[in-house]
Amino acid sequence: MSTPVSFLRRPPAPEASPLAAEPAALPATGVTLAVSMVRPRALERLCADAHGRDAFWRETLHDRSLAAWLAPLRPTLLYVGSEFCERLLPEPAQLARTLTDAADAGLSVGLLTPVASPETLRALDPLCALLPPGAAVVVNDWGVARRLRERHPLLQPVAGRILCRMLKDPRLGNPQYAPPVNHGLDSPWLRRMLDRLGIARVEMDLPLFASADSFAAVPLPLGVHLPFAFVAKGRMCRTAGLAREGAERFAPRPFCHHECLAIAAHTERAREGAADAWETVHIGNTIFCRHAQASLAALAAAVACGQVARLIVPGEAF
Amino acid sequence: MKIVAPIRQLDEIAPLARAGAHELYCGVTPREWAERFRGASANRRPGGNLPSLAALAEAVELAHRSGVQLSLVLNAQHYSTAQIEFALEIARNYADMGGDAVIASELGLIMALAEALPGLRIHVSSVATCRNADGARLYRELGARRLILPRDITLDEAAEIAAEVPDLEVEAFVLNDGCVYEEGTCNTLHLPGALGGPICLDRYAYQHRHRDGRALSPALAARVHENDEAYRRWLWYRFSCGFSTTDTGMPFGPCGLCAIPAFGQGGLHALKIAGREGPPERKLASVRMVRQILDAHERGQSPAAVAALARDLRPSHAHCATGFMCYYPEVVGMAQDIGPQPAAPPAAPAAAG
Repeated sequence: MSTPVSFLRRPPAPEASPLAAEPAALPATGVTLAVSMVRPRALERLCADAHGRDAFWRETLHDRSLAAWLAPLRPTLLYVGSEFCERLLPEPAQLARTLTDAADAGLSVGLLTPVASPETLRALDPLCALLPPGAAVVVNDWGVARRLRERHPLLQPVAGRILCRMLKDPRLGNPQYAPPVNHGLDSPWLRRMLDRLGIARVEMDLPLFASADSFAAVPLPLGVHLPFAFVAKGRMCRTAGLAREGAERFAPRPFCHHECLAIAAHTERAREGAADAWETVHIGNTIFCRHAQASLAALAAAVACGQVARLIVPGEAF
Repeated sequence: MKIVAPIRQLDEIAPLARAGAHELYCGVTPREWAERFRGASANRRPGGNLPSLAALAEAVELAHRSGVQLSLVLNAQHYSTAQIEFALEIARNYADMGGDAVIASELGLIMALAEALPGLRIHVSSVATCRNADGARLYRELGARRLILPRDITLDEAAEIAAEVPDLEVEAFVLNDGCVYEEGTCNTLHLPGALGGPICLDRYAYQHRHRDGRALSPALAARVHENDEAYRRWLWYRFSCGFSTTDTGMPFGPCGLCAIPAFGQGGLHALKIAGREGPPERKLASVRMVRQILDAHERGQSPAAVAALARDLRPSHAHCATGFMCYYPEVVGMAQDIGPQPAAPPAAPAAAG
């Protein structure tokens, strides 16, 4: 199969984006806001007033328009942990502190969980035991979902964005390219599995070429991540190599000093004629791309017509 | 343990069977699929597929005549509902041909296969990224008979999964074709080389900084630079020492030959050779290499002796010592105890005819 060069052309900018200039206020559609953090901070600023939140989002997301759009929405949920790395789960004592701090700020707490090794699976049990009944646990591994169902049935599993597979190659620039760029959440077989595992909510990244159709066919309450989509995630961690030497410097066995919490890399293709459509950032073991204004505009429209139940925004700078 | 090897064309079947493979696997992308889904592959690889169901039927017949099983790969990372329905039709045809197993990764397709074709074996692809016993149990409950572990797993983890889910066969990578990112969590295309190739090999320039926007200190920048250089060396090894072979056509890595005794001890069932899109010569050399080391293990040689034999095959002592060429670098020191061994005997022919 060949891929024509035209796939790599940058898509045209939208003529008018609701987020491009002065943002429209978030409509009162019942959409809620979750903030995800590996190491929770500044909860009081997030939960104070719109002015404080606007400043917080501008510092964190470096997008004035998006900050203003999000600012009116007081977060109700704090996600802690990581979808991408086994090393970034909190220790039980950290989670206990977070539960207290979040309660003081009026936030519920959900736990983000990654693709899990056997050791990670065991580490999740004491964390789940600390969570109150009904707390959300975002699962990105079918084994984690099964274990929750079996051992922690009072918690609410949420299918995470890693389980919502779709093409997200930031080097592509043409929505006409054929492989399914959309999610498969409307599959009847997948729906039966979600039922079987007690999963009643799903999450996804914004598709690269988001449109009204991107959110319409999802059969369960939908959470959407913005403004970064994950492109690819390794178990091998390039950044963890900073903490390691020798034969296992880039091996699967996890060890690091959490260097990725401090360091990131903006990446750009050094290839003549290649102008990628999306900005990319490499953090730890994962490549992310920042959504284009057109996709955010599609999301804003979906929020306006009630297709999105929850927005999920990182509370730590990329 | 069984040796599982890839094919992309019919004339690879008999030589690989003679060289010692027990099972083969292939993909197929019928013209109707390509037309209906505008070029999308029916599996994880855009190339290296048989062109038609007729060719697939011939492959099944040839494989069985050669005494080996042939599995069909339907392991794209995601399928739309329409694609699952089409994939089911391919699988039905394949079952009617006498096909042995479907290798699938997408949970929806696995459920659909189990419901529609309960007599057909399902092997869970490495693209499913299942690396814990609870996930393995879930797939077993759905009817899967084998789990192909992802590349990035430790020997202890592999053995633990095999022990905890004994009624599910476990297969692990042993040679060729290393992805940098986990296959099931990589949402990109393998573009043609001129357009960038796989994203992990594309030419990205990295500008490191603190996440709060500050520049790195000179000392940290130097350390990051050293790490980037080490990463580039690792990447060269990860892709078979710059996609090279020895003078006699043997591939380098990623390689898990030294880990074969640990796999045997850990109760693993099969050893996967990757590289469906590679040339026939590389596949043949790969099967011979694995067969030689597996034979040594099955003859009762010690793990250290087996590891030493593996290093002498190419030979590749300097490369092996780095650990960067290893799928399972935790065994990297094993062969150093007894040093180089005498030349290995020729590979045994396959038992089945």
